[in-house]
Amino acid sequence: MTAEADRSGGCQCGAVRYHVKGELGYPHLCHCRMCQKAAGNYFMPLAAVMRSDFTLTRGAPKWFQSSDLVRRGFCGDCGTPLFYDIPETDFINLTLGSLDDPDAVKPVMQSNTGRKMSRFHTLDGLPLEPQPETPDRENAIAASNHQHPDHDTKSWPLGESS
Amino acid sequence: MTDTTKTGGCQCGAVRFRISGRLGRPSICHCRMCQKQFGGFFSALVTTPEEGMEWTRGEPSYFQSSVNIERGFCSNCGTPMTYRHPGGLELAIGTFDDRSDLAPLIQ
Repeated sequence: MTAEADRSGGCQCGAVRYHVKGELGYPHLCHCRMCQKAAGNYFMPLAAVMRSDFTLTRGAPKWFQSSDLVRRGFCGDCGTPLFYDIPETDFINLTLGSLDDPDAVKPVMQSNTGRKMSRFHTLDGLPLEPQPETPDRENAIAASNHQHPDHDTKSWPLGESS
Repeated sequence: MTDTTKTGGCQCGAVRFRISGRLGRPSICHCRMCQKQFGGFFSALVTTPEEGMEWTRGEPSYFQSSVNIERGFCSNCGTPMTYRHPGGLELAIGTFDDRSDLAPLIQ
């Protein structure tokens, strides 16, 4: 299954932004320990796009060569994991959480489940934190939010002209 | 939750930590800020004790995502590592060498 549309995404601070067109191939969750570690998390959600359909529209990632075969791209300013790249191929993988609309891409597969977090299937059943008694903290965060919005912007950082 | 010494770090090993003492409640957070920090669907974090947390190699770089919040990562490999708020410091569970006793309890 693939998803076909023009899509944008980028890191948390907005220093690195990208645009993809055409199909996003093989949206999946990788549970290998290298993806867990690179994500600081339980898995890394990834999908592939042809290099010819991929454009960096602002900035450039830093790269960490996690093995001789694979390099991982992230924002040098805020750290967001962005890309899983095998340079000899004609495609690049991007992290689904970095898309402006992650919910629009449905994962279709899981991979490398040998180190899969044993309680993965229980996560959605966890009890929900109660809502805060006052909105003060949420309001303070909203008023000082330094995260790039979930759409492309003409200039960066925000405040100059969004 | 656990009262032993625990260690962990980023993917490349430039930043490593050791914690002695009791960790707080492990949780996962679905907010868009955490999704973005981790490039994923949610964050998985655990609160560190006020004392007993030390960086044993290097230290994270920080991005201030809002007025009181700093999010730490390894500047060499990018691994998202910390979430600091006025009430304390939380560590990404995926960075721990042994995660077997860090089951999240709430979301």
